[in-house]
Order: sequence, then structure tokens, then C-alpha cells
Amino acid sequence: MTPEVTVTGFLPWSLIWFISYLGAFILALLYLAGVKNEKVYGWGSVTTIALSALLATAAAKEVFSKGPIYSLYAKNWVPWLNVTLGTYLDGLGVVMALIVSWLSLLIAIYSVKYMEGDWGVQRYFFFFTFFVASMLLLVTADNLILMFIGWEGTGLASYALIGHWYTDEEEYWVGVPGRKALGQPMYFEPSHSGVRALMFTRIGDIGLLIGMAVIFLITGTFNIPALASSASTWMGYLATKGILLPLLLIFSLGALAKSAQFPFHEWLVTAMTGPTPVSALIHAATMVKAGVYFMLRFVPIFFAGAYALMHTNPAAVEAARQYFTIMAGLGAVTAFMMGTMALVSNELKLILAFSTASQLGYMFLGTAAAGLLLEEGYEGLATGVAAGLSHLMSHAVFKAALFLIAGWLIHVAHSRFIDPMGKYAKYMKITAVSIWLAGLSLMGIPPLSGFFSKESVLHAAEEAHLSMGYSLGVITAALTAAYTFRMILRVFHLEPYDKEKWHEPHEAPGLMLWPYTILALVSLILGLYWTGTGKAIGEAIGETLSVGTPAHLVVRLTTGVAVVLTLALASIGIVWALYVPMKVDFPRLIREKTWARVLHDFLYDRWYINSIYYWIFVSGFAGVAYLLSIVDFGIDAFYHYAIPVLFALGAAGLRALHRGRSNYYMMLYIYFAATLLLFIYLAWG
Amino acid sequence: MEAGIPIWWISLLLPLFVGLYGLVDREKGKPLAVLSLIVLLIPGAALFYYWITGAVTSAVVDPVKIDLTRHGIGVFYLFVDGLSAPIVAGISIVTALVALYGLKYMSVRIEEMREAGETPPGIGVYYFLYNVFALSMLAMALSSNLIEFYFFLEVSLVSSFLLIAYYGYGDRRKISLLYFIWTHVAGALFLAGTLYYGINAGSFDIVKITSSGITYVSPAYTVLAASTKIAASLIIIGLFIKMAVFGVHMWLPYAHAEAPTPISALLSPNLIGIAGYALARFAIPLFPGIFQSLRDYLVILALTTIIYGGLVALRQTDFKRFLAYSSVSQMGYLLLGIATLTSYGIGGAMLHYLSHAFGKAVLFMTAGVFITELHGLRDIRKMGGLARAYPLTAAAALLGFMHLVGMPPTLGMWSEVLITIGVMKAYSTLSAPGLVALALALILAFGVSAAYAFITMRRIFYGQLKDYLKELGVKPGYEVFDYFKAVVLLVAIIGVFYFVAISPVMASLKPASELVSSLLAG
Repeated sequence: MTPEVTVTGFLPWSLIWFISYLGAFILALLYLAGVKNEKVYGWGSVTTIALSALLATAAAKEVFSKGPIYSLYAKNWVPWLNVTLGTYLDGLGVVMALIVSWLSLLIAIYSVKYMEGDWGVQRYFFFFTFFVASMLLLVTADNLILMFIGWEGTGLASYALIGHWYTDEEEYWVGVPGRKALGQPMYFEPSHSGVRALMFTRIGDIGLLIGMAVIFLITGTFNIPALASSASTWMGYLATKGILLPLLLIFSLGALAKSAQFPFHEWLVTAMTGPTPVSALIHAATMVKAGVYFMLRFVPIFFAGAYALMHTNPAAVEAARQYFTIMAGLGAVTAFMMGTMALVSNELKLILAFSTASQLGYMFLGTAAAGLLLEEGYEGLATGVAAGLSHLMSHAVFKAALFLIAGWLIHVAHSRFIDPMGKYAKYMKITAVSIWLAGLSLMGIPPLSGFFSKESVLHAAEEAHLSMGYSLGVITAALTAAYTFRMILRVFHLEPYDKEKWHEPHEAPGLMLWPYTILALVSLILGLYWTGTGKAIGEAIGETLSVGTPAHLVVRLTTGVAVVLTLALASIGIVWALYVPMKVDFPRLIREKTWARVLHDFLYDRWYINSIYYWIFVSGFAGVAYLLSIVDFGIDAFYHYAIPVLFALGAAGLRALHRGRSNYYMMLYIYFAATLLLFIYLAWG
Repeated sequence: MEAGIPIWWISLLLPLFVGLYGLVDREKGKPLAVLSLIVLLIPGAALFYYWITGAVTSAVVDPVKIDLTRHGIGVFYLFVDGLSAPIVAGISIVTALVALYGLKYMSVRIEEMREAGETPPGIGVYYFLYNVFALSMLAMALSSNLIEFYFFLEVSLVSSFLLIAYYGYGDRRKISLLYFIWTHVAGALFLAGTLYYGINAGSFDIVKITSSGITYVSPAYTVLAASTKIAASLIIIGLFIKMAVFGVHMWLPYAHAEAPTPISALLSPNLIGIAGYALARFAIPLFPGIFQSLRDYLVILALTTIIYGGLVALRQTDFKRFLAYSSVSQMGYLLLGIATLTSYGIGGAMLHYLSHAFGKAVLFMTAGVFITELHGLRDIRKMGGLARAYPLTAAAALLGFMHLVGMPPTLGMWSEVLITIGVMKAYSTLSAPGLVALALALILAFGVSAAYAFITMRRIFYGQLKDYLKELGVKPGYEVFDYFKAVVLLVAIIGVFYFVAISPVMASLKPASELVSSLLAG
């Protein structure tokens, strides 16, 4: 079920990503030419991204009115691998391009002010622009190789920007300096976090590459539309060989790692060492959505493959079902796990980071659930995928707003912890309104967009009969409301814990204030006008590869919705009660009560998963490396000591035979002559 | 296709003439550096032209050949086809740019040695040996005949031995001797196998050149029958020692760490990788059956080499020794690609030769920048925070590491993709547990490479400046962007350029790799 596609030349639509690469390239050249003026880089970056955004908007208009566009430059860019070079813009692609480009634009504008006077601002805007280009390439690539190039490009930019302050001053760390869990440090310098992010995602990317290789070997192409139309063939082939499930899982490792899903979630938390606009853009709104995009792109393809094989190849259908169930389960577990961690964190950006991974879990849950609706046919698929996409969109908007606000709060508080923050509502009214709008959206309170999109996701999980996933999703909704409310309450309304370090804040400058205020308002408007928003998303899904059926994203007030909403409101109420009328002194409770401390430390130290990873992988591999270096020493000693010594001894022995004494030579002569005679005698006889 | 002019002979003879000029005027480096840069770039530039026109797809043969058929040796051609094109490009580009880089490095080095009371030969001698070394590697990649290949192998060994002995670091006489003995053991084994085969076959030709392209001679078992295994083991073990795979790698960390850095930048990626190329060009066509029976063992050996080299590299404290172990690990990738015995894997290995050439040359040159400008600093423990002082060198080093790890936008990605496809093709019949095990092994291997690369990047360039560096006066803005660092960055950028301009390279690599793998099918 693929909609009709219009094929055009490379121009103008491939410029969506190409122009940002060009911008990054020009910034690099300017740097080499010795241009130091930071305004050139900031506004240069904003300009190129604005062009990308305008083109993406124009493309969206085309796609919504005429259907998907395939902008093809070369049918055979890389001959041997049959790699095409083109841009595939279907409903999903343009919605992603719109989200990415417009958010990038707002955050770039915010960055111009935020990064003012920073010593690495030129490098910042180079990687920022490079990131936007890579992300746009990722979501509009027509083939897996091109997608992989964008995918790795975003990884490189993420690495560079997480480690932007690579001189590792303490103010840029994540975690409490000195804190350890299970003997492993729980504080991370920017340069350390960069390596972590790169390693975690790289491991997933190799999985993605292996999956690409196998699919290519069967089909002879990396072209995504071609893979979509032949899905039943190659999936059937793999199922017959009994490797469909492991292959799909290996193929999806990249998505799991990129979107920080369990067991790859650890890198995202420490990625918060990057400048806050980077956290907003890359580690909340866009790059971490790459994995979700992958799911949104490939779940319909796998679905279509399984759907076509429904009556002929039960093994394939079974494998696909198991795959969707596992992915949905991982999403649900991540959503819950990260939600619990956010409850106790006292670092502003960490709360938001936990929340991001948790919300990404929802998106995985909803999208993977869509694949399970095989009996309902394409309409079920469309609804589930639309749910995933709508949550992606609403999350991108409100989470970007929250992070941008956090950037300003951390600046005025001179601290990344929320302990010295408090009573900010009095001093910054517009920011307070913005954070409430964005926060309520995250909490899932109507009429904000987060409510509708979260309910759609939960609805999909319910339809797919994922009882565990659905239950975890509902519990997470309550957790989300609790931690978000706690965060806003403490920072904006209550007295700070750490009164001595409190500074009187003031409202943000316009270039920073407006981007997040706009985003908060967008979050409200999208929700208020959800009939329109949902319809647009539904139509976009209707113009998407392997779906082709419009979705109907209408949230009706069912029992389920009522329960979720009640739970969210109840947990808000509990948090309010604990902090306001009861005035529970949490720091004292944790100090004095063992159960409270154990629970707090378990959550604060991220379920000890980080420490376990460090023991197994970092210490483990360091141990193996140590052992191998001993082996290496042994090999060295063997070749360069034992063998020379052996030769030296042999030489000494041979030399000893020739000492120049005639009686000795006579004896040797008689001895050998006698032996020879004996042999001759024996041979004769 | 036959080239209109004897382009490959010109490529070999001009560096020789430039080198001889160095023997005449021994103390003037500048003209020698510039001339070497120009003449060594000729084959690379010619090749680029042939890539664009598509001539490489069938092979570009030099019109001048040396016919020794009467003596039972065969014909010495010089030619380039899709298989050797990445090798030739790598040697040409790296040797040319490192020649320029060496001007500052070696001037400082010779000065330093003279101050220490030693009497190294002047820079003219350096450029003589350098050009001979460069042209001999080029000639190996251009050879069509085993004796021809062996002759230039000897030339390369002697010239590089002298370079280490004259200008090396540490206990350079002992280490150059160690290098000489190891490589000659390898050479002697290769020669013994070659002679055993060639005398029986009546010719040492591997490739037959006709007007339509190239074909390979019949496999060795058609002339050697039962003794094929002896010849095969001699040749393969000889090449493995040269390539420094796990077990016989021990000479490499000494030689590559203590050679003068420009020579390390040639030894590490260019010279040892030629052994990998020779496996694909000579050993597989001669002994296809043996490779098929050894495939699984070779794949395991390759993965072991990757992981072992990478993990031992992580424990090194000397920057150059670290890079040397990284080269061992990278040779594992070459072997992995070749061992799959698929066209993708073999092509990927040849492409990885080129990306490793760019990446490792950049990294050795980075090490050399610090050795030259920071009083011989090689100890990683004393480094840290250098990115702020040396932003462009840091950028080049990052690109260098990305070549090794296989990240776009560097050429490394293409070789990674090809090698991965090759491995999956070789094991396309695996069951589910086998597939998972293979995937885990690959993830481990590629992961170890990423780990040592980015952890070392952090140790050298990030964090606060170490006290040792502060005492030297290193601070932000310390870097002077002269030609010395510009060439480092340029090599890295050429790697990015080839990432984008991959199309003609792939177009010619495909038929050449498929020709090799087709020999295995029967």
C-alpha cells in the first residue's frame, strides 16, 4: 500500500539537506581562512537552516497536495553497491523534515545569544549546522546507505557537541563530583560523556550495518522504496532460513542505541554535559528521535511484508510479531525505568534527560504496537504509526521548550542543580507561563498536545493487547506527571533548599526568551486545535511508504483515558500534598531513614546499571587488555630473548668443539671413524 | 588498455633521479622536498585521470615491458587495475605529502642528532633513500610478476632499514637490525615459495595481460600437484609476517615506533598493507583451494588480530607505539576482508588499504608535530588538553581516527561497508545462533577499534593542559598553521574527498575483485 510517487530531479528538494551541508562547509572554510567574528558563524548558521526550513515547508505543501516526491540525482551513485543518490519525501519524511528544520532554526537563534563570547563558538556552529544537515539527510534519504551517512553524521556532531567544553571544567560536568556507586564514579566530564555517547551508539550502528548488509545481499539494493515493495520476498526468505527475528533485532540495534532505549539508555543521561541548546536540539528534540524515525519508517515495511505472508508463511508472521512485541516491551521498560529515575534527580537537565528517554520509550511502544495490529489491516497500522509520530512531534516541541528554559535557569542560578533554585515565578513571568505550558504538555494534561499524543500511544498499546506495555505506560504517565510537577514546583514556587546559593533571577533576553515562548505556545495551539493537528498527521501517514491509508487520530473519552488522566492528576495532587501542606523534608528523610536512603540511592544511581556496565565492560576490558599485554610481553620475550639466547647457546656449544687442541681433535676423529665403521659393518651384514 | 606514454616507468624513474640529485647536494632539503612532492604525485594524478575516464576498469598497462621469458622468468609489466588502484593512489598521495612534511621534521631531527654529537648523513641522503623507498613500494603495487615484486620488496626493505638505522630513535641500530632480520625472514620465505612454484611452472608471471584486460595464470596445483601446500605455506607465512598478523606481529611495534616519524607514516599504512594486497593479487589466484579450506581459520585469525591489536594498543603510553599496535589491528581488517574470499571482502580490503593509508599517515604526522614542536614529546601520559593549543591538528587527528573507525564523512566508511557485506556473504548460510555470534564478534571487533580511537583522542587532546605542557609554554593559540600542519590536514581532507568521489573507485574495484573471487568459485 504505497501511495503514488512523483519523480523529480535533484533540485530543488534535495537542497533541503544539501544546503545545510554547504553551509557547514563554508563555515569550515571561513575558519581556515582565519575569520574569527562569532556573529558570522551564528547568523550564517541561522541563515542556512532557515533556507532548509523554507524548502522543507515548500516540500510539505507539495506532498500534502500531490503526494510523495522522489527527488533523484543519480540512479547509480556508487556503482558496485547500487547506491542511489536521492531524496525521498513522503508524509513521514516531510513531517520529520519540518520538525527538524524549524526546531533547529529556533534553537540556532537561541544559540546565537546563549553561546555569545564562548571560546569555541565557531566550532559550535560548524557542528550545529553539520548536525542539521545530517539529520535532514537521515529523515529524507532514499536509501539505507545515505541514511547511514546522515545517521553517523548526527553521531559525530553529537559527540563533538557533548564534548564541546572538552577542557572539562567542573561546572560542565554531570553528576555530583566525588559520588560513587558500587565503587564506580557517577560524575562525568564532557570529554568522557562524548566518548560514552559515541561508544554506545557505535555499537548499535554496527548492528544496523550488519542488517543492511544482509538485506542488501538478498535484494541487491539499499533503496528504501524498493525494499518496501519487496518486503514480503526478503522477509519470507529470511523466515524460511529461521533468522528473520534475530536479523530484525540486529538491524534495529542502531535505533535502540540512538534513541537511548534500554539497554543503551546510559549515554543519553551523561550527554547533558553539552551546551543546553544542544541538549534541546540533539538530545531531546531531534537526533534521539532518529531511532523512532527508523521504527516509523520500517515498522510499516515489516508490517507490509508480514501482512502479505499472512497465509503463506506463518513463520515470518510469527517472527514479525515477536519482533514487534520485543521492541514494544523495550520501549515500555525504558519509559518506566527512566521515569522512576527522574523522580529523585536534583539536576535540572538530568530530570529532563530521564524524561526524554522515558518519552522515547512511549514512541517505541506505540510504533511497535502498530505492527502488531495485523488483523486490523492497514488502518490499524496507520493509527499506531500516527500515534508514534504525533507523540514524536508534540514531545519535540515541548521538550525543546523545557530544555531551552533550563538553559536560562542554569545560567541565572549559576548551578546545574535545582537545590539553589526556587521562587522563580515571581521574577520571570513569561518563562513561568512557558514552563507551565510545556510542563503540562509533558504531564499529559488536556488541552495540551502531549495529552492527545500520549493517549494515542497508550490506545495503540491497548489495541495491540500489550498488557504489560500498556500497564507500564499508564504507570509511567503517573510518574511523568509527578516528576514534572515536582520540578516546576520546586524551581518556580517553593523556597530553595540551598538558600545561601540562591541568586535573584531575571527574565531572559529576547533572543532566548522568544524561542522557548513560541515553542510553549505551539504546544498549546497544537493541542487546542488537535482535530486539525491529528488530521494533518493522519493525512501525512496516509502519504507514507508502505502505509498509504490515512489515520484517524481522534481521542475519545474512554474509561482508559479517564483512568490515565485521573492517575496523572492524582500524582500531581500527591506531590503537591507532600511538598506544600505536609512540607516533608526529603533531604532529612533520606539522611535518617534507611529505607528512604536505599530507595533514593537506587534511583539516583540509575538502578546501578551504569556501575554494572562499567564493571563488566570498562573494567572488564581493561583487565583483558592487561592480560593481553602480558601475553604480548611473552611473545616479545620469546622472539627477542628466548630465540637469540638459544642461538647464542648453540653458537657457544659449537664454538666449544673447536678449541684448537690436537689431542681433542684426534679423539673426535677416532670416535667418528669408529662410529662410521660400525655403521658400514652393520649395513654390510 | 595500453597507456600512450610509459607513465608507470616515468613514475618510478623520476623519484630515482630526484633522489640521486640528493646524493649530489646533501644539505639542501627544500628543493628536494618540493621535487619529491611533485614527482611522487604523478602516479596518483595519472590514476585519478584514468579513474575518471574509466580506463582503470580494464587495466592501464605501461607500453614498456621487460621480457625475460627466455630465462624462464616471464614478463615484467607495470600496470594498474581496479584492485591495485587504491594501493597505488595510497602510496602516491601519502609518500608525496609526507615528503613535504619531512622537510621540517627531518631538518629538526638531523639538527637534534648533530647537537647530541652524532653524525647522521645529511638531508640529501634522506631524500635519496626516501624516494627509493617510495618508488619501490609503488613498483610492488604495479608488478605483474613474482620476481619483479620480490626485487622491489628487497629494495624497499633495504632502503627503509637504512632510514631507520640512520635517523631512528632509541636503540636504533638494534631495532633496525631487528626489523631487517624479521622482514628478511619474511622475504626469504616468500622467495622460497616463489622459486619453488616458478621453477616448476617455468614462469613467475601471475597476471597475463592481453588487449582486453588481464587474466590470472592457472592455480599452482596444476603444476605443483601434491607439493602445493609447501609453496603456499611459505608464501602465505612470509606475507603474514610482513603484514604483522597476530603471533608474528612483534617486530612492528619496535620498528614503527622508533623509525623517524615520516618513515613511520610510510611503513605503517603503506608498506605492511602491501602484503595484504599481495595476498589478494598473488596468493589467492595461485592457491584458491588452500584459501577455501583455511577460510574459517583466517577469519578467526583476522578477528583476533583486530581485537588483540586494539586492546594492547589501549595500554600503550607511547603515542607512536600506540599507533603501531593500531596498525596491527588495522591489518586485521585487511585480512578479514581477504579471508571472506568474496568480491566484496577483497574489494573492501583494498579500499581499507587506502583509508588506512590516509588515516594512519595523518596520525603519525600528528605524533610528529608534537615530537618536533614539543621537544620530542611522545608520552601520552604527559599529553592532554592539546586540542585548545592545536585546534587544526586536533581536527586532522579526529579525521584520522574516523578513517580507522570507518565513520563518514571519511573513506573508511566505504571499506567498512564493503568488508561487512563480505563477511555476511561468506557466512550467508548461518543459523540463528550463528548469526547472533557472528554479529557479536563483529560488534566487538569494530567496537574495540572505536574504543581505542576515541579514548586516545580524549587522552591526548581533551581535558586540562597537563603541567608538563604548561611548563613548555603551550597555551591556546600556540599552533602556528604552517605548511607542516597544513599537509597533515590536507591528507585528512583528501580522505574526505575520496569519500564523496567514491563512484569511479568502486566502478573499477568491482570487476577486479570479482575476477579474483571468481577464481575461488571453481
